[in-house]
Amino acid sequence: MKSIKRSAIAIFVVAAIFATVGCAAASNDVDSNPADSGADATATWSIPDADPVATITLLGLPDLIDGNMQPVLDAFAEAHPNITVVYQNVPFDALNAAIDAGVSAKNGTPDVYWADMPRIAALSARGYTTDLTKQFASYRDAWDDASYEGASVGDTLQGVPIANSSQILYYNKDLLDSAGVDYPSNDPNSRITWEGIKQNSKTLVADGAKNGIVFGQVDRYYQLQALPVSLGGSPGATGEGNLKPDITSEPWVKSMDFYGSLFAEGLSPRGITPEQNDQEFLDGNTAYYVQGPWFLPALNSSTINWGVALHPYFADGVPVTATGSWALAMNPFSQNKEATAIFMKWMSVDEGAGYIKYRPDAELPANKAGKDFYYAKDIFKSDEGGKAAKIIGFETGNTAVNRLSTVGYVEFESIVNRAFADIRNGTDARTALEAASTELETAWQTYK
Amino acid sequence: MTPKKRYKSARVKLIRADAQNGVYGPAVARPRALLRRFSRERHDLIWATVFLLPAMVAILSTRVWPTVGAISSSLHTGFPGGVREPVFSWFDNYVRLFENPAFIEMIVRTIAFNLVINPLQIAIALVVSLAMTRTIPFRGLWRTLVFIPATVPIVGSSIAWGVGLRSDGPVNAVISALGGTPQPFFTSPAQALASIILVATWIGVGYWMLFLIAGIEAIPKEYYEAAKIDRAGPIRTFFSITVPQLKRPLLFVLVACTVANFVLFVPIQLITNGGPQSSTTLLMFDAYRTTFGYGSRNLGAAEVVILTSIMLLFVALQFFLLREDREPKGGPR
Repeated sequence: MKSIKRSAIAIFVVAAIFATVGCAAASNDVDSNPADSGADATATWSIPDADPVATITLLGLPDLIDGNMQPVLDAFAEAHPNITVVYQNVPFDALNAAIDAGVSAKNGTPDVYWADMPRIAALSARGYTTDLTKQFASYRDAWDDASYEGASVGDTLQGVPIANSSQILYYNKDLLDSAGVDYPSNDPNSRITWEGIKQNSKTLVADGAKNGIVFGQVDRYYQLQALPVSLGGSPGATGEGNLKPDITSEPWVKSMDFYGSLFAEGLSPRGITPEQNDQEFLDGNTAYYVQGPWFLPALNSSTINWGVALHPYFADGVPVTATGSWALAMNPFSQNKEATAIFMKWMSVDEGAGYIKYRPDAELPANKAGKDFYYAKDIFKSDEGGKAAKIIGFETGNTAVNRLSTVGYVEFESIVNRAFADIRNGTDARTALEAASTELETAWQTYK
Repeated sequence: MTPKKRYKSARVKLIRADAQNGVYGPAVARPRALLRRFSRERHDLIWATVFLLPAMVAILSTRVWPTVGAISSSLHTGFPGGVREPVFSWFDNYVRLFENPAFIEMIVRTIAFNLVINPLQIAIALVVSLAMTRTIPFRGLWRTLVFIPATVPIVGSSIAWGVGLRSDGPVNAVISALGGTPQPFFTSPAQALASIILVATWIGVGYWMLFLIAGIEAIPKEYYEAAKIDRAGPIRTFFSITVPQLKRPLLFVLVACTVANFVLFVPIQLITNGGPQSSTTLLMFDAYRTTFGYGSRNLGAAEVVILTSIMLLFVALQFFLLREDREPKGGPR
């Protein structure tokens, strides 16, 4: 009897351990190559004139209801009733793992997925994208050049750009008024500096504001790249294929010292995630807030007395703003390439980009024609909304800097973001960046 | 043929004939009994196979095969992602991992974490179980309250603790109200792992308590009465009666707890993402990040194999330390 119980315990333990191994190895199928499974890049297919009857799966970021994705899918269903779109929604932090697990399962699900533009090179090198150059050749001029390039690898189009982005400095007029701080400027010649923001933040916090300055994309390379680049730093890597880490240069260390000091001096809150930041501003807790135009609808429906200004820069540097956004990439194992391409075309090209046209959120279009109805949206009708439209137009045309383009972007973003988090939590900037640089070199061995 | 040989040959024939006629009873009965036993054993074997087959198939396909797959994958290297074909490269992944000082640090951190969290969780669970088996008012209510954290999905508890221990969160509000200095918790390299231990312990204690309560209540009351007659105090009773009698449930709890903590993932992923300064990057979390974050499946598989080996070593040690004392052979029954 004893030995039976012992065996039972032993079996439980072994099963639990194997479960661990099983979980990690479950998607470890390396038996077949893409060509065997229908992922042949040279396969000839085209976008048909008539819709095939098909059901396609879309892996996307915006929530159906809160993120207003439902109206987009409804509009597509009306335009293309033969094609059913099954929508899978994942949060930002889980997106890349979901793409990796989905595409590498090689069963063609999802057919199409949200791909961050700077990741396109890495995704393409992994064999996760379909070459769309030929099929979308006639729509080349529909998109602005930067967006087309952002979704391309070399001369090949590996995704269709559905949006672009920019950055705005939002501010809480009531808090600034109360502390007697001037509103930041919308004039490119008298743009506020980071030094000015920090100085004013001290006054604002002393006056009772909970947060002086908050980065909407706290700890994220997307928004923070603008700091070192403003001081003349590189996007983070140099050399062949941008695979030599360059995050310990003086501009990087100096700008990240500044970033860390905002938290150390209590001007920015530690331990608040990007998902919580919007609400902090909407609750009236934040004086200055750097965020994309997608925040405008939430502001419009709030009671906050808000204003917009040009993104800050360092006094010794140049104005730089984040840009680039999302593309849709096609799973090379998709069994419904034609129907998927019809959907992708509708989202990014048709009617000036269906995604922009039917989603009430203020996502900046990558489609040239889309800009007409983008700026006609309700969110730009208020005074501040009108100013925001001008800021977006100016920044995208003059100060926007793309993120690092490298096949090792996946590791880069993850490691650099963690260094930013460490700096926010009080680690000395140079120490954190040097550690990240070493980690990056180890991680990038794979590509050398 | 000499007369002697002829005699011997005739004798052998006679014996064989007698055997066929059933003269030598026992010699004939033995093969028959053996035959019956074989037949019965074969019958049992067939039925045992029939009953065990589904479990065996399940274990082989969902446990053993992926394990073999992980080991095989760890011996390959290739471009990140799961689409491009990797090549066999012996122990390159292991060499690469062990050449990286950050990886060695991570192994040390993982082992240290487990050396702290497992005894801590079990000690607390044991103390709580002892309290909950005493006659106290509202015992059911207390037991339920302690068990509730185990029923809350770990994602929910992690988010709640993440907010609770925020620099401006309620825990710090209480500390400030009591005149203390607010603590950084998850944002300090010195406190983050300890805070993760706090969250995991809060979740785990109630669960392990259930098994220990069942074990304590199964100890015959006579032992305690005998101990009382011998005038043993509560501490002596605990170490001489409760602990030895609890060996079996304790072994189960210890092993299950160790396995659960070696693969602890959710609070790290949700609250600290391995930081600050990698202070909460444990092996399981890093294996996940390498495999699914970076798409380096082969390297991730090597990490999983290393994790599994360390875990098996710990479990084997626990089985050894808590082994049952064998009864002496040939002793009085």
